[in-house]
Amino acid sequence: MNWFLRGIRRGILTEKEFPQVQWPSELHRSKEGEVKCPTDALKEDRWDPNRCIFCRACEPILSPTGRSVQAQVKRSEPSFRRSFYLYPIDVGTCGGCNLEFRLIASPQHDMTRFGIFLTNTPRHADALVVMGVMTPKMEEVLRRAYDAMPEPKLVILLGVCAVSGGILGMPPDIRGDVVIPGCPPTPESILRALVEAKSGE
Amino acid sequence: MRIIGDLGPHCLTSEGLAEGPCKYSRPTIGEGGYGSFNFLYGPSAGGLLESVAFDILTYGESIEDVRALSYKTRHIKVGGLPLRDVLFKVERINVPFAASHTIAFLTAVENALGVSPPEEVVESRIAQLELERIRNNLLVIQRLAEAASFLVPTYRLLYYVEEVNRAISRSCGHRYFLGANYLGESRCQELHLPRIDVEELRDLLSNRIFIDRLQGNGVVKEDWAIGPAARAAGFSYDARLEVPELKYRDHGFKIVTESKGDAFSRMLVRLEEIEVSLKILEGVEVKPRRFELPSREGRGIGRVESPSGDLAYMVQVEQGSIKELHLLPPSRINILLFLRSMPENIFTDFPFNWESFGIWISEAEVSIS
Repeated sequence: MNWFLRGIRRGILTEKEFPQVQWPSELHRSKEGEVKCPTDALKEDRWDPNRCIFCRACEPILSPTGRSVQAQVKRSEPSFRRSFYLYPIDVGTCGGCNLEFRLIASPQHDMTRFGIFLTNTPRHADALVVMGVMTPKMEEVLRRAYDAMPEPKLVILLGVCAVSGGILGMPPDIRGDVVIPGCPPTPESILRALVEAKSGE
Repeated sequence: MRIIGDLGPHCLTSEGLAEGPCKYSRPTIGEGGYGSFNFLYGPSAGGLLESVAFDILTYGESIEDVRALSYKTRHIKVGGLPLRDVLFKVERINVPFAASHTIAFLTAVENALGVSPPEEVVESRIAQLELERIRNNLLVIQRLAEAASFLVPTYRLLYYVEEVNRAISRSCGHRYFLGANYLGESRCQELHLPRIDVEELRDLLSNRIFIDRLQGNGVVKEDWAIGPAARAAGFSYDARLEVPELKYRDHGFKIVTESKGDAFSRMLVRLEEIEVSLKILEGVEVKPRRFELPSREGRGIGRVESPSGDLAYMVQVEQGSIKELHLLPPSRINILLFLRSMPENIFTDFPFNWESFGIWISEAEVSIS
């Protein structure tokens, strides 16, 4: 069958609500006890999503709630409300963030319904999406991509490696306007953060 | 006996370790003549899923030679760390192949400690490997369709990739199997199968314009090839039939082969393997299970058939910690095959040939100390 007709016959596959994911999701303490966290994400009884790699070493003392991990949007930009072009840059990922970021374009999530698009050059980008731990040869590439972007611009740190270095290294030395924790963050939590960053609803 | 690849100072073959390095012909660097120039593509460019650069020797359209330049090398320290901490790092070497990495590593540890996992754990591992294969094969075909700007199948395939991720999440808690396997434990609860219409995917083969981009592109028939690249060239190489730990023979597994060794054959193998994997999954039962790991010392090798070919770990365990660890990721071999297959093609062939190997830079460039 013609692929165009096939696409139409399948109807709308885009979802308003997404299925619950256990790992990664917000964690809560469900039992008393000591936890040996490999990334020090638990300090003085406080769980820090920016350090958590969701390795399940704390199970069952901490357990997942199924609620999407909350991103921190420190700055949003109203001029990106109608169209928001993203340039992803991988400075040292395991491939997980790359794939989850790609999946925000899947029909179930459909980022374009929110006016979110990808661009192949930082010169056309409104936001730089930084993923992975900092690797030496990518430092220069990251700086040049950032410098090439027009103002106003946002920096989005995607995944725990870019936020805090996770378990594998050091984070990139760049200030994030939007911080999306997770290992890797789910397409749902990425989309929610992006919509908030562009001052959308 | 077939060569699989360099594993630390040794050469891993289908019959065990041999003296290293492996004796296969490595790519030679070509020299251009009058009018040739070097074109740099990458490291951060549209169309690339990861950061990698290529130094392409060309006269303008034909590609004379290609070198891959590494940019995102991660240095991961594991020596002297407890097994648990190493496991968390191994899981994150290449998350799209996390099940393959983790299961190969845990098998190496179990062999080092002289323990065999119970039947339920073996079944769970087979289920994880096959779910991971289905997702990755769908992704590779999606990347091929995207390279051709064949948009409806591109998004249909992305739909299926997401569906597989959701099935994995429901089965094992995490969309990429992180935390699903632990030392002496398999945590997947119950198998949820993704709904995939394989007949719909086969319709890709009826589009002449699409398959023209793949046929005759990137022919490689080296006998040291692995995974889908080897099977596409007619070699019946598959760790699933060679490794005794995972009892694939009990599931009626059969190898899919093609003969031409080009990007199209690699896609056909991956397409047929989706159906083979779905059939294997129908006969697998998954439930969580724990088992005892003795506190011994030793050296062991673990090998699995990852979605892109053989993936192996060799470990030396002492007092519950890793003394030595060597990794053979499939992407390292597939990059060599890609570089060998690229000369005599043209620029427009490049993305199709690259995507057809299913290479992940994250595992190819990782440095473990």
